[in-house]
Amino acid sequence: MPIVIRPHSAEHVEAVVRFNRRLMAAGAADWMQIEPGPEPSWLPKRNGQKLYNEIFLALENDEVRGAYVLKHQEFSFHGSTVHSIGYYHHPISEGMINKAYAAVGALMIRDALRQEPLLYALGMDGYDKPLPKMLKLLGWKDYLVPFYFRILRPFRFLRQMEALRQSRRNRVLMDVAAFSGAGWIGIKALDSFRTLRGGRGACTSSEVPGFGEWADDVWKNAKDSYSMTAVRNSEVLKQLYPSSQTQFTRLQVASNRAIVGWSVVAARGPKPRFGNMRVASVVDCFAAPENAPAVVRATTEALQHSHFDMVVTNQSNAEWSRAFERAGFMKGPSNFVFAASPQLSQLLSPFDEAKEHTHFTRGDGDGLPNSF
Amino acid sequence: MQEVVRHKVLSIAADVLSVSPNLLSDQSSSKTVESWDSICHLNLILALEDSFALQFAPEEMEQMETIGQIASLVEAKLAQAGKA
Repeated sequence: MPIVIRPHSAEHVEAVVRFNRRLMAAGAADWMQIEPGPEPSWLPKRNGQKLYNEIFLALENDEVRGAYVLKHQEFSFHGSTVHSIGYYHHPISEGMINKAYAAVGALMIRDALRQEPLLYALGMDGYDKPLPKMLKLLGWKDYLVPFYFRILRPFRFLRQMEALRQSRRNRVLMDVAAFSGAGWIGIKALDSFRTLRGGRGACTSSEVPGFGEWADDVWKNAKDSYSMTAVRNSEVLKQLYPSSQTQFTRLQVASNRAIVGWSVVAARGPKPRFGNMRVASVVDCFAAPENAPAVVRATTEALQHSHFDMVVTNQSNAEWSRAFERAGFMKGPSNFVFAASPQLSQLLSPFDEAKEHTHFTRGDGDGLPNSF
Repeated sequence: MQEVVRHKVLSIAADVLSVSPNLLSDQSSSKTVESWDSICHLNLILALEDSFALQFAPEEMEQMETIGQIASLVEAKLAQAGKA
């Protein structure tokens, strides 16, 4: 029976529930679920808003065989051109548990491309997963968005390391240790060295309840510096990080008393791979590249004062990456893949040069609002 | 001409799926061929597009479940394009 792609609607709720049950029964991971209701819980479509999600279903008669979510968002290219871009995320296919539906994955990507030729995917958990493999076959261009971490409290870090080494429950902290030299003295020395390299300036951060006109000024002053960045004016930021979502801390950063940028940070929920560590994520940040060091330094200091043990972040932009490195962050293994459709790649031509000047963070991924 | 197209589709499918053409028939699908997974399916579509200089729309891909359906679709598209 042919499979057709249609927007999720109320008549499909029961079929979605059945689909989720089939996947769960086959041992699929918890995140491999389609939202039962047709309105996405994250960024639903509202009148006049240009940033929203839509859920599409792959249907075989009345049964759901797959789904994907398309996020529509405005992006700025070199500050001058704004395009509405599609973000292809949360694709789930019954083909994962039943080969009879192997065609669903390709069908959904082609459908999304037809709706939004300027399309990207982000995250995807590394190149060895089916989605990035399929995107490569379709001629998408991609790169790994670098991952950075910084140990803020080496003693707690190493104590956790020891506990995890004994339990051998997971490898993440040990991987981090391997990158950091695996010793308290080594970490401490490197930490001090890197911090000193970051230098000291008159930059401060203040926690703010939300984004106002000041964020519009930051946006206007900085947008020209990036080959591609999601529009980050106050209207968009209020949608992405609404004051009602208390898991986010919004930091306004000033240098020499002038507001130069901002960051959004959050405590990551307890995860076995991090043991009992208190891990913070720099979910998002923005400023002109020359002000990135001030934003990174002020953000890191704020997290240090909040007694986090470790901070993690993903940053696509080369100058932001350098700012994090100068603030004591180390580069770790990344599985955060950015992939651009052929038409989107053309807007970033030459891709290898432009990719260093894009600005993607975890805030551009599908983890919001609760997993980042 | 139909037989030529059908034979070529079978040959491409056998190559992409890494099976002997003798093991494939019009009824072969991802349900019956062990190696036919989502990546192979996409590879097959791309190989057919490349070999026949065609482009499949999503609604056409919806009908591409068996080798027979795929061959029929290719034949129809070639005829439509005046290539058959």
